[in-house]
Amino acid sequence: MAQAEVFETDFWKDANLRKVWDEIVPGEPRKTLPYVLTKEAIQLYCRSVGENHPLYFDEAYAKASPYGGLIAPPSIHILLMFSCTPTDDWMRTPGTVNAGQSWSYNKPARPGDTITLQARALDKFIKRERLFVVHDNVFFNQHGDVICSGRGQTIRPM
Amino acid sequence: MTTNFEKLSTGDTIDGPKFPVSRESIRLFCDGSLDYNPLHLDDDYMKNSFGKTNFGGIIMHGMNNFGLITRMLTNWAYPAGAIHRRLETRWVKPVKPGDTIQPVGIIKAKQTTEKSRWVLIDVLVKNQNDEKVAIGEAMVEFPVQATT
Repeated sequence: MAQAEVFETDFWKDANLRKVWDEIVPGEPRKTLPYVLTKEAIQLYCRSVGENHPLYFDEAYAKASPYGGLIAPPSIHILLMFSCTPTDDWMRTPGTVNAGQSWSYNKPARPGDTITLQARALDKFIKRERLFVVHDNVFFNQHGDVICSGRGQTIRPM
Repeated sequence: MTTNFEKLSTGDTIDGPKFPVSRESIRLFCDGSLDYNPLHLDDDYMKNSFGKTNFGGIIMHGMNNFGLITRMLTNWAYPAGAIHRRLETRWVKPVKPGDTIQPVGIIKAKQTTEKSRWVLIDVLVKNQNDEKVAIGEAMVEFPVQATT
């Protein structure tokens, strides 16, 4: 629970420190935070989407499987994105609307992994009076293995 | 029946889980994802318009669709020894408390590469009125050693 206790759930806090669309520089790395992924965090995420596969919950089953131990579902990057994002990052700006995502999966994340994120805005554009930013992201484990990589589009609040 | 690469055909479907959306399910997704954007929890804030859009109340996280599609794909792939490798999605309609959504997959193509085998899947999420709320495509790998 340590992570949940320190995580700032009020997305208005530090809102004034965040970059608006005009200030976001495509190509510039975003500041990110390492995150220790716990079994409890994986399982809370799983419950929120109704995931109940034993690979995420049953240690004995997972150990006997080809994965050799508990893993997180591929979509765990949904949690990792916010876990690795500091409070002053524009990804947390209230009103940020997700317009679509694409993700590629390499290795599963596991309980106890220390996850790091390399991320940046890659592009920004205006379409039908809406302000878009394309972000790209790569998550790594403590061994330097790529967990997954992905790209998303958000519509920035005006 | 366990999925088998050879026996899969274009047009085969994968039925995902039905998911009832409520204020509680959206709140649980906030806790599970740490995405506390007020779009998903603040009724007063959602009285505002966003550009030209007024959602008329809190909306489900788009990524909740993504998580459900993933659940469908992995539950289909794991028993076959297959690996979910890619998912691309776009949201086409907001989802609100009271909706029931369900992901579906349709096999689009099979491809053998130098070292592996791949299945391309069109995915969509529909609501209780049979409207599409999310669309996308996925790629599942069937490693050669998984052949039975």
